[in-house]
Amino acid sequence: MPGSNRSAAGSGPRRAEAPPPSGALTRFARPRSRGLTRRGSQRLWLVIFLAPATALFALFTTYPIVSALVYSLYRWEGIGRRELVGLENFVRLFTTFPYSQLLLNAFWHNVVVFVVTMLAQNAVALGLALLLARGPWGAKVYRVIFFLPVTLSLIIVGFLWALFLNPVFGIVNQLLATLGLAALARPWLGDTHTALVTLTLVNAWRWLGFPTIVFLAGINAVPDEYLEAARLDGATEWQVTRHVVFPLLASAVTIIVLLTFIGSFNWFELPYIVQGVSGGPNRSTDVLGLFFYRMAFGEVDTGLQDIGVGSAIAVLMFILLVTVSVFAAGWLRRREVELA
Amino acid sequence: MTKRTLWMPLGQLVLALNSVVVLVPLLIMVLSAFKNTREIFQNPFGLPVVWRWENFTRVWVEAKFALYFRNSVVITLASIVVILVLGAMAGYALGRFRFGGNDLLYLYFLSGLMLPLRLGIIPLFILMRNLRLLDTPWALILTYAASGLPSAVFILTGFFRALPSDLDSAARIDGASEWLIYRRVMLPLVRPALIIVAVYNLIPIWNDFFFPLVFIHSDRLKTVPLGMTAFFGQYYTDWATLFAGLTLAALPVVALYVLLSQHFIRGLTAGALKG
Amino acid sequence: MGLVVCLCVATLDPGAVTAQPPVKLTFWSWRVEDKWAYDKMIQVFEQRNPGIQVEFVPFKQTEYNTILSSALTGGKGPDIIHLRAYGGLETFSAAGFVAPLDFDTVPELKTFSRQMLDGARGRKDGKLYGVPFASQTIVVYYNKKIFAQAGVSIPKSWDEFLSVCKTLKDKGVVPIANGAKEGWTLELMAGAVAPNFYGGTVFYDAVTSGHTSFKDPTYTNALARMLDLRPYMHPNFMGVDYATMQQLFLNEQAAMFMGGSWEIGFFKAQNKALDFDVFATPPLRGGQVPWVSSFNDGNYGINARTPSLDAALKFIRFTATREFGQMFTDMLAQTSAVPGVVITDPILKHVQEMNRKATPYMMLVGFRWQAPTGSTLLQSALQGMMAGQETPEQVGDEVTRGLSAWFEPFRGR
Repeated sequence: MPGSNRSAAGSGPRRAEAPPPSGALTRFARPRSRGLTRRGSQRLWLVIFLAPATALFALFTTYPIVSALVYSLYRWEGIGRRELVGLENFVRLFTTFPYSQLLLNAFWHNVVVFVVTMLAQNAVALGLALLLARGPWGAKVYRVIFFLPVTLSLIIVGFLWALFLNPVFGIVNQLLATLGLAALARPWLGDTHTALVTLTLVNAWRWLGFPTIVFLAGINAVPDEYLEAARLDGATEWQVTRHVVFPLLASAVTIIVLLTFIGSFNWFELPYIVQGVSGGPNRSTDVLGLFFYRMAFGEVDTGLQDIGVGSAIAVLMFILLVTVSVFAAGWLRRREVELA
Repeated sequence: MTKRTLWMPLGQLVLALNSVVVLVPLLIMVLSAFKNTREIFQNPFGLPVVWRWENFTRVWVEAKFALYFRNSVVITLASIVVILVLGAMAGYALGRFRFGGNDLLYLYFLSGLMLPLRLGIIPLFILMRNLRLLDTPWALILTYAASGLPSAVFILTGFFRALPSDLDSAARIDGASEWLIYRRVMLPLVRPALIIVAVYNLIPIWNDFFFPLVFIHSDRLKTVPLGMTAFFGQYYTDWATLFAGLTLAALPVVALYVLLSQHFIRGLTAGALKG
Repeated sequence: MGLVVCLCVATLDPGAVTAQPPVKLTFWSWRVEDKWAYDKMIQVFEQRNPGIQVEFVPFKQTEYNTILSSALTGGKGPDIIHLRAYGGLETFSAAGFVAPLDFDTVPELKTFSRQMLDGARGRKDGKLYGVPFASQTIVVYYNKKIFAQAGVSIPKSWDEFLSVCKTLKDKGVVPIANGAKEGWTLELMAGAVAPNFYGGTVFYDAVTSGHTSFKDPTYTNALARMLDLRPYMHPNFMGVDYATMQQLFLNEQAAMFMGGSWEIGFFKAQNKALDFDVFATPPLRGGQVPWVSSFNDGNYGINARTPSLDAALKFIRFTATREFGQMFTDMLAQTSAVPGVVITDPILKHVQEMNRKATPYMMLVGFRWQAPTGSTLLQSALQGMMAGQETPEQVGDEVTRGLSAWFEPFRGR
């Protein structure tokens, strides 16, 4: 890109273009200036500024993701790559028992997690944000409290709630008994009907503060003039909220929905900690993240890997996430343009 | 107006209720850390009869908490330093220089925000193995740095771009080199952005469990999340020690958060909000 | 980079010139509960072999295989590996992660029984990959005090067993501590209950040779017997995990615990006041000697890539000595695989007697050679069955169908 002259780029005033070199080797010499032109020196600096970050990012992010897609087209023995087999891993994933069943099962669970999170976490967050936006007494303290669980490691959250939800010794069931609701006590994480939703609610407990703060910032960003104008026009508080605030929250909502989607389909740590790598009981908490991990790093009882199938799962997740992200980002851009 | 005053106490109730839901589990965690296992089973909600500080000593010593804590600090700090140094340089170049491919490069970095690096874990694992970086802190530092660059570039480019355009021309006429301009003039002006980037990446890196799980196998290199998981696996029947371990593991971040809550909140939500 | 630093430090250290730094071996295992005993046995070894230090690092049982696989695949991992047996060993030996042993390098192996050594062999090449360490049996633990208080004694037939459970339940005790949250504990329960009903080794031979499959009503009816026990488990048994099961039995809230013989030492250590013993799950009719499931629990092996092969071999040979075996059995109350070990623990002696009619623990011994393993399939299916979502026939069907992916005789059944 830039000239190869190693003189300190940009130091001193511009140098005049040097005459082309003469002599026997002129044939091979490329015409170049003796010193660096202004543009040349800037080019060099651009490289210096950009190269490290780009190289790091390309090597440790782009290369692995692209490789992951490529790996799915090969046959694997343990960690050793064998011959190119095209879509065979995908065929195996989609048609052989039990993979096909596990895949559908896990995917469905990710969908459930997304829906429950939208309802139990994001809707509640919106409500809390609206309340906080009014500036009630103690709002600052509430903000700090609500956001606290977001700083906690998922390890802590997972272990803590696993202990609380223990069917024999945990406080949740003990609390129900104290309140006279012992009939409701059940093995929350062991019942195949309740395990996934319970785990999703634990997840919501941990993340609730995040969308709350984001929505709060969005609400506070609505210019006061709009609100005043609407109120002067005689609108009730609810109408003001619904017709002025909500539309202007659109970008915040989209971002939260997008992040929730990505988080729901990437879900791994919490189910891993609480339910173990098999996503039990009876695969009722199995999600794509766990399924992928089992195939990539070995099953629970034997450590047997199937990197071919694991990579195929990664490709599917990748396609899903990228498609939705691109659509959402495009939609967001359009809304912003509209509202600007 | 009257509607407003009616809503207020109801609103307060809801907010207070949510605070209870957030705080009570943590309170019980801390209280249980001071009991013994039998007492936890029999008297889960009450105050400890005897405040057993020895639970914490046991965790500190046997869980080698100091070791894991040190590892977490080293890896988190190193990753953030790399992110800031490389990210600021890239953000400066992208934000203040016109050149072909500027937009493309910017979008390239931004794409990293949406892509889950975890899906590339197998090639990443093999790459680290081939580079002989497996089971070393560098595997984590480089991975975290690479995954933190998109957010850093995103935030810093914006900040650099917003600086007055004649700032650097003035410095150049004075004969300053590009590097000096960057370091002495531009960088100090984006300090708030650097803090935001640091905080935004700090918590996820500190709390991360997935990459240490895959890359780190030696006990002496484990970070707090991974080390605590191993510890809990060993003491799975000893609930008192478990709660003490949980409390100890949560303490550093929570303490930091309470002190710097505003910075944390702003930093961690920066990715979702513009600036 | 780190290596350069180490070399610099080593050359700077004056002590390094005169004394050799001790060779450090890491020893990974899933036996979290046995750490204290291993530390003691290692101390004995270290005293005899100054210059070698061994560090015992246990992992939670349900994570061990994944963690080990990941570490070995990455070219790392421990020097001494606590390995599983049969298919669990094959995964690692076939991939070349374990150093093969033979009677020349470890002459102590010559004295081991053929049955034990079979669990240490790779199926493909027939080479030995480790020193067998223990055999385990699946038994029913019972709290003697609770039994006495309830006025019941060891049942001799299945009906008697159910009525003992009923009596215990009426007295307000949880009869059986077992839970279903962790699939492998259900597999254990099946290993305790089913063999008497499917006919022990006869059926095992038939199914491993492919003459029948797990769809066989003999097998599914045996599994169905587990459903009889549901009313006598904790009401929330679906959420009861391994730790909670153990707690229930240790806290004397449950009267019985179906599990492996490895619990003997653990129960004693955790609750010295616990007065317990074992019996074999009774057969359908009284008067028959009951079957018990048994298996080679694993082996001690050497990482093929260890830099300290000599030191590792020394340690491996130590684990094959009668002295080690005796310490092992004395401290942990588990049946060491080393021949000639004298069992003094009375409860373990009962286990030894029961082992006279031992049958291989079905899935672990016979069907863990490839994925999906019989264990994985059975575990989730049993969870479904105990939750009332699947019938025993469906369980048998699922297991057979899954296994047919690699077990040819099951294809087309």
